[in-house]
Amino acid sequence: MRRNSPLVPYLFVLPLICLLAFVFGLSLIRLVEFSFKQVRGIDGPWIGLRNYELVLNQPLFWESVGHNLKLFMTIPVMVLVALTLALLLYERLPGWRIHRTILFLPYILAIPIIAVVMKEMFQFSGPVNAILTALSLDFMVLDWIGSADVALWTVMGLIVWRETALGVILFLSRLMALDESLIEAARLDGASWRQRAWFVLIPQMRGVIEFFVVISAITMLSAVFAYVYVIGGGRGGPGTATMVIELYIFNALIRTSLPGIAAAVSVMLFAVSLLLIWALFRVRRREAE
Amino acid sequence: MTTTARRSPTGAGLMDRRRLLQAGAGLGALTLTGGLAGRALAQTPTLDMWWWGEQELPGLQAYLDKAIAAFTEAQVKPMLQDTAVVISQFQTAAAAGDPPDLQYLWNGIYHMESVWLGYLAHLDGLMDADLLAASNHGPLSRFDGHVWRMGWYPLPMPWYYNKDLFDKAGLNADAPPATWEELLAACEALKTAGVEPFGGGVQDGYWAEWYITHGLSQNLDSVGDAVNLFIGDLDFREPRYHQHWVKLQELRDAGFLNKDMASLGLYPGIDLCVNGQLGICSSIGTRLPADAKATNGRIGCMALPVFGQGALAGRPVVDMQGMGIAAGSEQKEAAARFMEFLNAPEQLASFWDATGWIPAASGFDDSVISDPSVKDLWTRWGKGNNITNITNLMPGQFYEQAAIPTGQNIITAGMSGEEAGDLAARVAQEWRDFNPDLVEKYQKWASDLSAG
Repeated sequence: MRRNSPLVPYLFVLPLICLLAFVFGLSLIRLVEFSFKQVRGIDGPWIGLRNYELVLNQPLFWESVGHNLKLFMTIPVMVLVALTLALLLYERLPGWRIHRTILFLPYILAIPIIAVVMKEMFQFSGPVNAILTALSLDFMVLDWIGSADVALWTVMGLIVWRETALGVILFLSRLMALDESLIEAARLDGASWRQRAWFVLIPQMRGVIEFFVVISAITMLSAVFAYVYVIGGGRGGPGTATMVIELYIFNALIRTSLPGIAAAVSVMLFAVSLLLIWALFRVRRREAE
Repeated sequence: MTTTARRSPTGAGLMDRRRLLQAGAGLGALTLTGGLAGRALAQTPTLDMWWWGEQELPGLQAYLDKAIAAFTEAQVKPMLQDTAVVISQFQTAAAAGDPPDLQYLWNGIYHMESVWLGYLAHLDGLMDADLLAASNHGPLSRFDGHVWRMGWYPLPMPWYYNKDLFDKAGLNADAPPATWEELLAACEALKTAGVEPFGGGVQDGYWAEWYITHGLSQNLDSVGDAVNLFIGDLDFREPRYHQHWVKLQELRDAGFLNKDMASLGLYPGIDLCVNGQLGICSSIGTRLPADAKATNGRIGCMALPVFGQGALAGRPVVDMQGMGIAAGSEQKEAAARFMEFLNAPEQLASFWDATGWIPAASGFDDSVISDPSVKDLWTRWGKGNNITNITNLMPGQFYEQAAIPTGQNIITAGMSGEEAGDLAARVAQEWRDFNPDLVEKYQKWASDLSAG
């Protein structure tokens, strides 16, 4: 084969493709196969679309989907907070280095560690309520993790606190890469900080903001297990107040011996995640252009 | 290397013929001994044992290590399992044809599902019949006329009450409430004395399960009735089958539950009672030796006061942990010998020494129990007219989607007892829809249990 043959690059990546096909492809095929079977142990009879039908008719599944969608509300909050913090850090306010470290810290710590600490903090008899009481803010004392009305909001607060750090990292990196002459020109023209941010900086950060939104959406859909597992007492509680799709799958597989059901939900989640990943690639391509 | 270099000036470094022969003979003997030893080792079966329990009974690992070292008929290789995978790990290995020989088994459905999948061997004919019966495996280990699990150690499930707090409230600490009316009166007295009367911690869900254990059984006439609720022969919407949740609602509405109950886990909730911050809570017998010691015996044990009309009402609950043999094991006989070995009187004594807790087998000499609280618990619960833990009959789906959410929602979300019954009925129906193949097995199990 000639060196300049168009097949050559593909031959270089062929071993990796084979490996990926073996590791992920095979599992994926089995996953889809399981979703059409009533699996007991590691196999079972073919039952067509029955697993999908059962899942889609179950109120708990839709409640879990609803909770995942509710978590999407954190995305605009995270974007806003991360953007503000990144812009402030970019201005190199006094002590910006230490502030940057503090802001990045939540993202460095493992989610279970943060969640366990927060769970202790937010217990009804915990430090947060003790502080509120000491400040005579009794009206703000809530059963943060024990109330079905409040628990998911507590999880959302924790997610915002941690995941915003990633936004700050991404946005600050983008800001550092911008052409300073434009900002300097705006400054010389008398633009205020708010005007510089709104008319000069943010328009140039559109790509990275979109990128952050898409990966946050994927996170809210399929990477919040650790948060709800710890805060929700390992069961999406109280009641089913913090049940999300990942926990639903985990329970079906591990606790209720329903691998077929777990597979059916996983396939649906995978399909939605693929859509989001496709959106992510589109954003990245546009950013590259 | 040169010859000169190998020789010493005296020639002592040289190996003469006699020494060569001696060395050769020695080497031959060594090879022969090694070979025999190797063959002997090869003839000693190796048993893989997957177990759990150190998590709830500290000292169990030390006991097991000692027992394994003392057992000469096989080499046992133990592996402590994580709580989350005790069942799934075994079932996956069994399905793949490579199970451990010995498997730790929780009670009821937690091992019965493996029986139905064909992953466990029944013990009749494998283990000595007398020893198996004396292991007190409990009724939930029987199916299709066979016993599938040996009892290992019991878990009495009492309700704790703090005697000092009872004194403070002017209650008789030697006569805890026995009826629901007496309980309400005691809670009122405790509340008036500034003590949170009743509860614990429900955040991790186990309290809700234990409450069903004590509450639902009060309106059942047999253990099989519980299964009938899941297979649809009985209905949670009938008042008697959700009365326990109505009673929980009653406690909530009266303000008798501790305020932080929803944000505390099970064990921190029990700690409240032990530490003198809560009057009455649900607990487990394995905690009692330490709790009695910590309070100088000021922790009392009682059954959940009676409100129900069923034949099981008011009877103390005793759960049982156990062990079984995988159907796919190639060393079933050796595994059975090891289980018999664990039931030998000296091993039962060793179990007590290492864990401070009582083994299940009748061969245990319980005269060694010196703590009066533990002795009293063992007399009334272990040896009394006890019943098994009916939540061990619950399908996993019902447990996760009804048993735990109902308790938590009543306590935290304003759910009524009647609504809890509706939710339970709906989830039981969903379980039947999701698991049509298991319903048939449950029906047979129910008839076995009712007959037993």
